[in-house]
Amino acid sequence: MLTRIMMLLAAILLSACQSKDGPAAGQPSATSTTTTSAFQVPIQYHTLDNGLKVVLSQDKTTPIVTVAVYYNIGFRIEPRERTGFAHLFEHMMFQGSQNLGKMEFVNLVQSNGGVLNGSTRFDYTNYFEIVPSHKLETMLWAEADRMRSLDITQDNLTNQQGVVKNEVKVNVLNTPYGGFPWLDMPQYANVNWYNSHNFYGDLDDLDAASLDDVADFFQQYYAPNNAALAIVGDFEYADALRLVEKYFGAISRSAQEIKLPDISEPRQEAGKRASRLDPQATRPGFAFAYHVPERLTPEWYAMGLLDQILLQGEDSLLNQVLVKNEGITAEIEGGINALLGNMLNYQGPMLWLASFIHDADVEEDRIVAALDGVIQTVQNAPIDAETLQRAKVKWRSSFYNDVSATFGFGRADLLASLALYDDDPERINRFEAEMTNVTPEMIQKTAQEYLRSSNRTILVLEAGASSGNAEVAAND
Amino acid sequence: MTNLKNLLVTAVALSFVAAIFAQEKEVPPAGGTPKDFTLPATNSFGLENGLQGTLVEFGSVPKATIRIIVRSGNLNEGKQTWLADLSADFLIEGTSNRSAEDIAKAAAAMGGQVNVGVGEDQTTISADVLAEFAPDMVKLLADIVRNPAFPASELERLKRDRLRQLSIAKTQPQQMAVAEFRKALYGDHPYGRMLPAEEQLAAYTLDDARNFYNNNFGAQRTQIYVAGMFDAAATRAAIESGFTDWRKGPDVLIDLPKRATGKVVVDVVDRPDASQSDIMLGLPTIAPGHEDWIPLQITNSLLGGSFSSRITSNIREDKGYTYSPFSSISTRYQDAYWVQSAAVTTDVTGAALKEIVYEIDNLQKNPPTAEELDGIKNYAAGIFVLQNSTPGGIINMLSYLELQELPDTYLTDYVSEVYAVTPRQVSEIAQTYLREEDMTLAVIGDRSQVSEQVEPYVRGEEE
Repeated sequence: MLTRIMMLLAAILLSACQSKDGPAAGQPSATSTTTTSAFQVPIQYHTLDNGLKVVLSQDKTTPIVTVAVYYNIGFRIEPRERTGFAHLFEHMMFQGSQNLGKMEFVNLVQSNGGVLNGSTRFDYTNYFEIVPSHKLETMLWAEADRMRSLDITQDNLTNQQGVVKNEVKVNVLNTPYGGFPWLDMPQYANVNWYNSHNFYGDLDDLDAASLDDVADFFQQYYAPNNAALAIVGDFEYADALRLVEKYFGAISRSAQEIKLPDISEPRQEAGKRASRLDPQATRPGFAFAYHVPERLTPEWYAMGLLDQILLQGEDSLLNQVLVKNEGITAEIEGGINALLGNMLNYQGPMLWLASFIHDADVEEDRIVAALDGVIQTVQNAPIDAETLQRAKVKWRSSFYNDVSATFGFGRADLLASLALYDDDPERINRFEAEMTNVTPEMIQKTAQEYLRSSNRTILVLEAGASSGNAEVAAND
Repeated sequence: MTNLKNLLVTAVALSFVAAIFAQEKEVPPAGGTPKDFTLPATNSFGLENGLQGTLVEFGSVPKATIRIIVRSGNLNEGKQTWLADLSADFLIEGTSNRSAEDIAKAAAAMGGQVNVGVGEDQTTISADVLAEFAPDMVKLLADIVRNPAFPASELERLKRDRLRQLSIAKTQPQQMAVAEFRKALYGDHPYGRMLPAEEQLAAYTLDDARNFYNNNFGAQRTQIYVAGMFDAAATRAAIESGFTDWRKGPDVLIDLPKRATGKVVVDVVDRPDASQSDIMLGLPTIAPGHEDWIPLQITNSLLGGSFSSRITSNIREDKGYTYSPFSSISTRYQDAYWVQSAAVTTDVTGAALKEIVYEIDNLQKNPPTAEELDGIKNYAAGIFVLQNSTPGGIINMLSYLELQELPDTYLTDYVSEVYAVTPRQVSEIAQTYLREEDMTLAVIGDRSQVSEQVEPYVRGEEE
């Protein structure tokens, strides 16, 4: 959420709600010995003595390299009295460290021919640079510097409070459909405060943040044993590892054990409906969300294919029914961890959500009936072989997009996420086989349990404006 | 959480003190030796009917990006605003050989989806597919581009979708600002007509949509690009068999706009109680291919077009007035304008404009240091490599050259031309092309709060 440069993806590590051995029912069986996909991501994985997880993946297509540092601090676990703080803090990481003053980090990256960004998601905060490959050492030095030594003044903090408040205005407060549904829906669908507060932050909470809060947060979460570093691109493995040791090896572990709150969500037993008025919108919006199965379980893989069958692409059932047949809307957007990442880069409870905008004369009952009708088709009978095969192909194609997104950053994102959450970045090479193994029976079983209407939240956006601005550049 | 916080304060304070008393700052390591960057090899060919194909084998992920670009866009509508869009909506609604559902399923079975996008000068029909399906997707796209069925049953639905989109566009401040700014610069030319009137859009007929297609699509207006991993021989054969017997179609339409020659007064568009003002301040400028084109790009990057730029440093990182200010050079066929955009907090709308104008003026009067300019040049060279490092990026670059009639040497000489720009030249570029007195300002905001603040910049009575 830092700049406009590019859209990011995301996810993270050890949640208090999940045993370290992983869900007993959910352990994938014999994955690596079954199908191995033709496309394999090369990986070398190391953990430094201070706990920093380091994932290296070579790709010499172009002389560029991505350096991505992921911290296990997502916005859902930020302090209760400081909504929006994880994101505000992300901005702090660009405001100065021991050897790089304000704007010097940004200038260092750009003047070396690179781009950079940072973002805050459910389960991580990330920072990355994409630079000409011979500048790898420069970027490792800079990322290590701000991991070791944040150096912030009150002026910097006040400035970024202004910037972040403007960010909230431009993305949420001063625009129709602002925050719908990505910021709204978790607040209605979840019951645990950690999953259901305003992640962008109340403006009062943002104003209340102090330098002590900044120092405290840095001390708590920004430590090598709470982070993963991914390097993707044109480099030699031995050189990269030597440089990582040189710059990150001496950074101290966190003084205290890093305590994470319980972020579990109870099983939802009754359907929910909420509405909110958007005074700037001229047409109503409709969104729905279901809690998805726990990560890495057979049901979760099946849910990934249900997303393809129901929602992704023109051929999906919801598109065919709501867009083409019923003419309710022009497009439906959504997915698992939609708008803030993808199904592979989060950890913890998550929603499968979708939303669209429709005309005022389309009644909510009609939409719900159409939605129910589609859901029932996947609950009432096993999916046909052709549709399932198409879903698997779509998933694979979409996975390759994620892996190749943003000049190698997409690959770094998945590798860092899997290192942080599972201590297992090599998992990236097993997802395809797991998806291949999903059966029609598992699809149906998952639809019956997780696409229950009692596991659903509907959020309606009421349009409060009568019509668009008549003054705007009207042409006759 | 609170207890933990108190415990940690001491430790944190110590580490901050250590930072403050550090003796000297380390100098960043310079890194290694630059590696050569080679532009990906392209394989271009033409058919007798004028259609051109370009194949670029590139990358390590088994996917291919296919784009068919037709020189037919909003420019070709005349005053029938959004007719190009409505007509293009029909492309995925079925052909004489396939239903809409057949198209959707066939594309999905290859790991792709057919996307259609209409721009000012071009319509793009595209799909990303798994590598092994590239030739089959070319065949599907050929059917879509050549044989659209224009089913009458879909007209009302597609118009309703466009009317909804129009209604939303007229409430989104950034889109409103672009519409106002464009109208001021281009008047009644299609480039200035961003939004149709509702009644106009509602009145379009099936014949209007079909005639637009018939009058504007054809082989000699069409380029096909395939980039990524794919079987080149089979893909070329699919292009040849899919398009060789397509009609030649019309010549490319050239219709350059008459552009505003000086400041145009634009009233503030009122959004009562808006917490921010969306501003666009800019003017028409030189087109791609002009000898000052690359120096102008560099000047833009330094002034407002990058995160480390002067305007962003000033109004974001120093003043905190805004989140995502940016300046850009927006291009169409042999046409461009420079504009600084920002969404700024309402009560500092005038103050933000004052700083923007200050930065322009300062750059005109004082050349940047060689160090600052060198940083921007390195940034531009790095961006150039990134722009040519993905299948989609490579196609963007090649189609940009094609549209703007630029020679291949534009690419091969780009980096050396970037490094030839001098500090003095940057100031001269700012003086010549970024004339504040000729800049038009569009503001979308709470009129009662911002009218007075923006008055000097709207009317140009004073600086």
